[in-house]
Amino acid sequence: MITAALYLSRRSLVNATWRRLRRLREPKYLVGFVVGLLYFWWFLYRPRGTRPAPAFAAALVDQLVPLGALALAVLLLVGWIAGSSETPFSFSLAETQFLFTAPLTRRQVIAFKVLRSQTSLLLSAILSVLLFSGFHFTASRLMRMGGLWLVYATLQLNFAAAAFARANLTDHGLTGWRRRAGLVLGAAVVVGLGWWGVRQALPGIAAAFSDDPAQGAAALGGALRGGVLGVLLWPLRALLGPLFAATPAAFVAALPAALLVLAAHYVWVVSSALSFEEVAAEAAEKTARRIDAMRRGRGLETPLPSRVRRPALLRLAPTGPPARAILWKNLTGLARTNRPRTLVFLAIFAVAVAGSLGSRAFTPLDWLATFALIFGGYAMVFGPFIVRFDLRRDLELVDVLKSAPVRGRDVVAGEILSPVVAVTAFVWAFALIAYAATLPRVTGLPPLGPRTAILVAALAAVPAFCGLLVTYQNAVVLLFPAWAAIGPDRATGVEALGQRILVMVGGWLALLVGLLPGAVVAAVVAGLLQVAGVPLVWGVAAGVVGGVVTVGCAIAFAVTWLGRVFDRLDPAAAGLS
Amino acid sequence: MIEVKDLTKLYGTLTAVSELSFGVAAGEVLGLVGPNGAGKTTTLRSIAGIIRPTRGQIVIGGHDLQRQPVAAKALLAFMPDEPRLFDYLTVEEHLRFVGRLYGVADVDTRAPALLQELELVDKAKTLPGELSRGMKQKLTIACGLLHEPKALLFDEPLTGLDPVGIRRMKQTIVERARRGAAVLLSSHLLHLVEEICTRVLIIQRGRKVAHGSIAEILAGRPDLQGRSLEEVFLALTGAET
Repeated sequence: MITAALYLSRRSLVNATWRRLRRLREPKYLVGFVVGLLYFWWFLYRPRGTRPAPAFAAALVDQLVPLGALALAVLLLVGWIAGSSETPFSFSLAETQFLFTAPLTRRQVIAFKVLRSQTSLLLSAILSVLLFSGFHFTASRLMRMGGLWLVYATLQLNFAAAAFARANLTDHGLTGWRRRAGLVLGAAVVVGLGWWGVRQALPGIAAAFSDDPAQGAAALGGALRGGVLGVLLWPLRALLGPLFAATPAAFVAALPAALLVLAAHYVWVVSSALSFEEVAAEAAEKTARRIDAMRRGRGLETPLPSRVRRPALLRLAPTGPPARAILWKNLTGLARTNRPRTLVFLAIFAVAVAGSLGSRAFTPLDWLATFALIFGGYAMVFGPFIVRFDLRRDLELVDVLKSAPVRGRDVVAGEILSPVVAVTAFVWAFALIAYAATLPRVTGLPPLGPRTAILVAALAAVPAFCGLLVTYQNAVVLLFPAWAAIGPDRATGVEALGQRILVMVGGWLALLVGLLPGAVVAAVVAGLLQVAGVPLVWGVAAGVVGGVVTVGCAIAFAVTWLGRVFDRLDPAAAGLS
Repeated sequence: MIEVKDLTKLYGTLTAVSELSFGVAAGEVLGLVGPNGAGKTTTLRSIAGIIRPTRGQIVIGGHDLQRQPVAAKALLAFMPDEPRLFDYLTVEEHLRFVGRLYGVADVDTRAPALLQELELVDKAKTLPGELSRGMKQKLTIACGLLHEPKALLFDEPLTGLDPVGIRRMKQTIVERARRGAAVLLSSHLLHLVEEICTRVLIIQRGRKVAHGSIAEILAGRPDLQGRSLEEVFLALTGAET
């Protein structure tokens, strides 16, 4: 079993590394790799100011083990109470297919999984330490890596044991709140014992903190080491011993106790012989669907389940422009994959906060307008990246789109319109809320007339701004499909990070270049109107409208060009299907 | 109805299809067979207008696919081997959406009849995520048949269907051909090809190996007389050991 697990880990690592290296022969990955490396270099080696640690922080260093043990205890308690998984480990679909059908005992499967996961845990420990230490290898760093791996491995086993406990309770008919209540009761007993043990020391700790935080930390550390709490936290303190050891000798001295805790967890989990295969297989399928959705660029969006059966927002007429049909399809999808309750909660929260913060100088309505402007600005800047119901998503189904008797220009227009319409609607709603909320205010803002002019200009500018960003992203998808998040083979790694940085920088450059003609037209129109005697603010508003028309023409030109690109696109050559 | 002349498709140095020429007349069912990697799907996708041929010409109902793609595609329907559906549109909405793309004005009349024919009536309000593989396949076929195409391209149409579904699918294909549609069907199921195809096109490594009715192919190879299509296929593609 050990050799099988080691073989799988070793070959997976070697093959994945080779695959990455071979990919670097393609310029697009090589460029991405270089940019990714530069980013990491900047992230790790950029100049940092060196400030001496405050006295309180220095005092805390001495108490890291007991305080860390307390933090771990809280983490584990939350995990036991709030966790819901009934499967001890996350199995991949391939693992469920091969391991669960192989002639292995349940304990052998668990042992295999525990051993198999150690590679990733060790890598996580190494990376965590290196990231915090600027990639310097020293003896103390190596000790930290070893110590952190022990902590990760033990935590993993502890959570696995928690999953077994939940499965056990379920087997005995305790599900939902009844099971949770039982776990809460158990946790309450542990916390009560700890509290009973430390209660007498609390006044002394509080007094020490009021005198000097360093003394307070020392008093707290002492309390966590002694009495009932000291006994309860001993396994966790033992586990953290190697991680926070100051010298190699201390590390070696702390190692046996930590290994004992780890071994005890291993025996605990491996000796659990409860059935978990069915739950694990279901969880593996769910995880695979979620990973698939993420790889397809749908973020954490839940894969569409059977429960989503809301009627379409609008009815599609049998005839009419095909672009409108694609717009309808995407808006229907958007409505079905997003829950309005999030927006409702957000609105209630904003109104409640505005109400509580309001004063005579800055009324609740002023706060509401401020929140609306913040949300609107956020929606305008990030909305075109978040709302991906366009070619970023539909290029997966390029065969369907390309075999339909529709010109590429119409396909691209329909696809680009979808996020623009959705984001614009949101931003307009927020802008109108902000405008309405500021109607009663007569001081501190321009008069109502100019304010209305600003609103008109802002409303006109939103679709142009979103249109440019969405058009750029769809252009990237069409021109460089391998760089974009389409389909199941989304690239990962340093090179993919570099590619995404380049695409993002390109997006902002494209925005600047795209806005330039519009800005020139806006300036000319506003200047001419001012010469003609039109008030400045109305002149600027008219200029913005003129600029928006210019940007709209540029987008229309880009859509026509991208339509030709779509018509010429060869899905097989582009690696889309 | 379908005319393919010297179709060639290159991917870098790889030749997927090489100078392939054939035609499918109205009412005819042509079986496209060949080993894995022979170029069957590339041929079908080229005819469907999904990929552009490197060389050659494809004409659908008198419309050159390169020069008049919209007019040519309006006569076509391509049913891929793997159902490709929009996961947020219901069965009924798929038909409505496809109807709009193909300009089917009477979609409200045609869609229910198709759902009835393909036994999808009780799934009309269902999202693809809730459908079985076979149901998805049926929905793909329904979308393809909605605009009453004159040329039908099927890539492994029986995959995932139950015995009843297989029988109905065969009936649907034959019925469409009887009504005058040209059908091009790619399949590894040689008994299916033997049963419903009027002619067979065997390709290997992108090149034509044999073309004609089974009787015509056997006439050219007297040594294969009396053998089944499977044996003929194995002999012609050199896979017989």
